[in-house]
Amino acid sequence: MTRIIKSLLPAALAVLLAGCSMQVTDRNTARYRVALVAKSEDAEFWKAVIVGAEAAATEYNMQLTVSAPDNEENYDEQNRLIEKAVEDGAQAIVFSAIDYEANAAAIDAAAAAGVTIIGIDSAVHSDHVAAYIGADNYGAGQMAAQSALDGTEGTLCVGLINYEVNGANGRDREQGARDTLAESGRAEIIDAVSTHPDSQSAYRDALTMLRAHPEINVLIALNETTAVGAAQAVEQLHRTDDLWLAAFDSNIQTLDALQSGAADALVIQNTYGMGYFGVESAFKLLAGQGSSVEKSSITTTRIITRDNMFAMDKQKALFPFG
Amino acid sequence: MRRPPRTAQLVAALISAVAVAVLTLCTVLFLRSYRAAIVESARTNSAQAVSQVVGSVGNYVHTLDSAVAIVQEQLQEDAAPRDAFLGAFLTARPEVAAITVYDADGSLLNCWAQDGRTPKADILRNLSFDLTTAQRLSGGYISTPHVESIFTGYYPWVVSIVRPVPDNAAARWLSVDLSFTELAATISNVGIGQHGYCYLMDERGNMVYHPQQQLLYAGLKKEEAGRLACLGDGTYVADTVIYSVQRVPNSPWRVVGVSYIDETVNESFWQMVRIAVATAALIFVAALAVGWVLSRLLSRPLQQLENAMEAFEQDADHFVFCAVRGTREVQNLSDSFGHMVGRIQRLMTTVREEEIDLRKTELKALQAQINPHFLYNTLDSIAWMCERGKNADAVQMVHALARLFRISISRGHELIPIEKELQHAEAYLQIQKYRYKNQFTYHFTVDEGCLHCLCNKITLQPIIENAIVHGLDLMVDAGHIEITVRPDGGDILLIVADDGIGMEPEQVAALLQNEPSDRTGIGVKNVNDRLRIYFGPGYGLSITSAPYEGTTVTIRTPRVPEDREGEYDKNH
Repeated sequence: MTRIIKSLLPAALAVLLAGCSMQVTDRNTARYRVALVAKSEDAEFWKAVIVGAEAAATEYNMQLTVSAPDNEENYDEQNRLIEKAVEDGAQAIVFSAIDYEANAAAIDAAAAAGVTIIGIDSAVHSDHVAAYIGADNYGAGQMAAQSALDGTEGTLCVGLINYEVNGANGRDREQGARDTLAESGRAEIIDAVSTHPDSQSAYRDALTMLRAHPEINVLIALNETTAVGAAQAVEQLHRTDDLWLAAFDSNIQTLDALQSGAADALVIQNTYGMGYFGVESAFKLLAGQGSSVEKSSITTTRIITRDNMFAMDKQKALFPFG
Repeated sequence: MRRPPRTAQLVAALISAVAVAVLTLCTVLFLRSYRAAIVESARTNSAQAVSQVVGSVGNYVHTLDSAVAIVQEQLQEDAAPRDAFLGAFLTARPEVAAITVYDADGSLLNCWAQDGRTPKADILRNLSFDLTTAQRLSGGYISTPHVESIFTGYYPWVVSIVRPVPDNAAARWLSVDLSFTELAATISNVGIGQHGYCYLMDERGNMVYHPQQQLLYAGLKKEEAGRLACLGDGTYVADTVIYSVQRVPNSPWRVVGVSYIDETVNESFWQMVRIAVATAALIFVAALAVGWVLSRLLSRPLQQLENAMEAFEQDADHFVFCAVRGTREVQNLSDSFGHMVGRIQRLMTTVREEEIDLRKTELKALQAQINPHFLYNTLDSIAWMCERGKNADAVQMVHALARLFRISISRGHELIPIEKELQHAEAYLQIQKYRYKNQFTYHFTVDEGCLHCLCNKITLQPIIENAIVHGLDLMVDAGHIEITVRPDGGDILLIVADDGIGMEPEQVAALLQNEPSDRTGIGVKNVNDRLRIYFGPGYGLSITSAPYEGTTVTIRTPRVPEDREGEYDKNH
């Protein structure tokens, strides 16, 4: 009997301790630290991403820090921001690459330091991205081109205004637009410029292009800032009625332009969802629920025209609440 | 068959089982009632929180209504004081995004907005005023949330309060666009439980304000507003969610409180489980301890008793019982067992003694008997001697016979001095020598120191008789019997050696085992038995014999001085 007691006593004590210690486990779990490294903090697009990320961080009780370079071309600073996030002890980085190649080394280094990497919006050339959340940019380019085909009769003389030549998104969008236009058989690409990602440069370049090629009747601007510049140029040259401007993303200027006729179609991404899902994926990966995270998920894109912009579902997608 | 378990194990198992059963029952019962209580209190909490929100929103709507009423009145004033008032009104109420007035056709007549904004010339679509709805609901309406769409570069989400403007020819309708800052402050800060919240919907279940409106708009979250809109005010429990719905008085809005039961209940459930597990572990430890104590008190003494019984069973004679200590029951049992052991041992001794007595009596009876053949033959020899006139021989024979009988009787003593025993043996040998016509010779070699020691009477005679009858009688030549008495350590050896025909080993064994069958008299076996009965198993006969060489019978008897006769003979 004594022998049995001796052998059972440790087991009984273990049960006792386990019973007591269970109390502590699920409390006091340190909040996960997540860093969002965006391309910009000023663009409407990124503001919405950040709001979505903050909503997810609140929902999952995470500590979120947001940083972005002051210029959407400055991948060097983005690399520094990644390093800083790692130094500050971020456990996950939600990242959107300015440059598909130039940001790769910094991301690899961060991953080597044990940080979980989630890519959003723009991909980066690294195998260490645990999850990617972004739009189907090629499909979005096709959508923009298709809206122009639908909205314009006769031959389309197209001008393309692109940005960030090294970014994956612009490249894919342009390719999608080019392919759809080529397929239609009634479109010709007159000119394509690659401009700096600020509206002033885009405005100047669009103005130059439209003056040089007055026959252009379709303009496709491939992101938020080029859209703003292109719309200004169209307005400046009083081409609001006879020129179809298909642009990407929305901000107050492009929304005004869409109502005034300067812009005719906007390809809208689920920016809020991108930020939200990015941070949510970070939480799931850190909390060991990685199986529920897709390696790559596509956020919705939709096309909005003057006619449907005030439909309730489009209102909800276009205008941020609060 | 399986052995039944030990008491201590049984007790520990029983205590544990009963404890676990009771604990489980208590936990389940407690959790049931606890859950019911939690749900009830969560319902109450939810309803209370919603009431508060309804109060605040109601207040807000009420003040807003008064404000709108004042604006309605002001619209009848002249342009200058009216504009001044509305400017001040907008400053005082920053949540009012714009005030617009429309004519009967729904055309925008005038607009006052925050920061002096003016509507754009070419409004694509004015979401702040819907003429059809206004005409249908002549008393005015409150719109669902929409984007303010009449300005350039300013797109806040608003609800529009539309009212008819009385007695004013120019303006027919008034619309006040209300941004959500005030409502947000009222609703967002209200929490129910850990994750509960409130939202505002209209009668048809359209979302008016939700703390996570953008999540809803982005399609990342869904609410059951449509379903709840069909239900009246009250509190509803669906699975783990509690919905509390209340109408805001004097408005088309309803406040919905959403809270979750499981977070609180699950917390308590795990708390209970933890307590139960810890208690179970404690009880288990206690049960083990009780088992151990019981084993000390009960099982171990019982085990000792069991061992004692086994030992008693194995060797009842030499068993010495040590009382087993323990509880009263055990001690009673132990005492009873001790009594029983004593009783049995006494009984056994008595039986054995009675047996010995019986045997001794039997042997005495045998000793007292004279072999009638021997007597008849001897008397016949004496008669024959008298007839032949061998008087001297006859006299010697009669003397020898008389001596034989006298020593045989020896006043009833069992033990006699060895000297007497030797005389008895010699008397017998004399008689037999006559009868066997000097067919054998005999000789005594006696240690003088042994003569006065005692030995059983009639010890030598049966041996000598055996030597004559079986050893010498059949011989052709004259035989010899040598009788030796000598001390051997603390004992005395009486040795009868003949040089007769000897015996086979089987005959030797038979001699010590069988009663004499054909004759009366003592016999070799009885001599042996008698010595053992009197002096113990270390004493008695040993026979060495070889065919045609002779037989030597050695009698071992303790050295008993004459004055210590009583120690061996007291029972007789």
